[in-house]
This record gives sequence, structure tokens and C-alpha cells, in this order.
Amino acid sequence: MRQSQPRRKNYLGLVGWVWGGNYKIERYLYTLHRITGLGILLFGVIHLCVTTFFRIQGQDVWESAMALLHNPWFKFGEFLVVLAFAYHSLNGLRLIIQELGFGMGKPTPPVYPYRDSLRKNRSWTMTLVGIAALIALLFLYDFLTGGW
Amino acid sequence: MRNSYLWLAQLVTGVLIAITLGIHMVWMHLDTILNFLGVELSDPTSWISMIQRSKEVIWVVLYTMLLSFVLYHALYGLRNIIVELTPSSRVKRITTWSIIILGIVAFAWGSCVPLLLLSR
Repeated sequence: MRQSQPRRKNYLGLVGWVWGGNYKIERYLYTLHRITGLGILLFGVIHLCVTTFFRIQGQDVWESAMALLHNPWFKFGEFLVVLAFAYHSLNGLRLIIQELGFGMGKPTPPVYPYRDSLRKNRSWTMTLVGIAALIALLFLYDFLTGGW
Repeated sequence: MRNSYLWLAQLVTGVLIAITLGIHMVWMHLDTILNFLGVELSDPTSWISMIQRSKEVIWVVLYTMLLSFVLYHALYGLRNIIVELTPSSRVKRITTWSIIILGIVAFAWGSCVPLLLLSR
């Protein structure tokens, strides 16, 4: 069997999700991004199955299934999905903006104490996380007032 | 080179999902706030409103687009994670092909079922 890549040094695998060395908050935002991504994928699969299989079986099955999905435990689960959506979308927008190099400021010479561009733009990161929290609160308010 | 284009497509679908899924989430869940803003909704999870939505062209187009964006974005992300965690070309090849097939089957299933059930 042909091995395309040489054995990688510094390869952490799943351990790198938990602890990645001397990295700051962005490292843990990355871990959370992956976990929420996988969670949303799981929800998406369930959602696709629910909205097709119950629909095929007609009105009665659909309505009893929806009645089941309206109980508080499922509502709580749905709110977790909303949290994941809010976090994943806004952190994703941050990643797009920063990875493509927008809004990172001018490059500066590496003079001690070092300030990399991510650290200089930490306020942007925190703003986006804050907006995610606001969206989550909006949906929490709606869930608590008896929304669908 | 090809991987960077696939990655760029993931960024683009990410932005498109943020727009289309935003519409979906607000319309499906923020009934209190929409009522406050003057939009009257009946329960969007009921059978009647679901059937109504499946007959309106704009919702069919929106949801079909959303389905394709989400499938690309999510399955490419899943492939990324698997390929990153298992550095072998054989696993990579198997993952790529199973994810392509899974995506096509899921898109066909998710877009055809509502269209075939239009008469109900």
C-alpha cells in the first residue's frame, strides 16, 4: 500500500483539539468550531430524515411526530442547535475575514514584545462572539415565550 | 490547487448558508418577534402550513438551494476532519468517494421527496 505522506512530526490528532501548545483563545474557538460543526451535521441528518420520512406517511403521523417534538426536552435540544448555529456562523465569518487577510492591519516588524495580527484584532473576535451570544438570547426569549 | 478551490467553495457556501438559513430560522422560530413587527404567522410546523410552503415556488427554490449548500459545506468539512485525522491516501480515497456518493443520494432524496408528494 502506497503511503502518500511521510510520517508527520508534531502530529497531534484528536489530542490537538484539546490542547495545542502555546496557543491562545483562537485555538479553543477552533475546537469549538469543529464540535459545533459535527453537532450541526448530526442535527441536519436527523432533520432531513424527520421532514421526509414522516411526511411520506401522511398527515396523522406528521402531526403526532410534531406533537412529540414540541415537548420541553426537544425544545432544549433545539436551543442547543441554535447556540451551535449562532456560534458556528459568526466564528465562520470571522475565519473567512481573517484567513483572507481583511482587516488585519499593516504588517509590522517583529520587535519584542511580539504582537501578532490575530492578537491585535482580538476585539473583533470578541465582538463577533458577543453578537452570537445576543442572537442566542433572542432565540432563548422566543423559546421561553412559547415559540415553535 | 484543486483543494484550495474546494476550500474557497466551502467559504462561499458558508456565506450563502448564513443568508438562507438565517431566513429559515427567523421564519420558523422567531414568531413572537415577527408578530411584534406586524407579521402574522400560523404555526409553521403544522401540516397545513408545511404543505402550503411546499407549493410556493420561492420556498421550494430557497430550500433546494439551502439543501445543496449545506450538504456541500458539511460533507466537505467532515471529509476535512477525517482526512486530517487519518493521514493515509487509501483512507482519503475511500472517504472522498463515500462522501460524494452520500451527498448525491442525500440531495436526490431531500429534493425529490417533496416534489413527488406535491399532489398530497
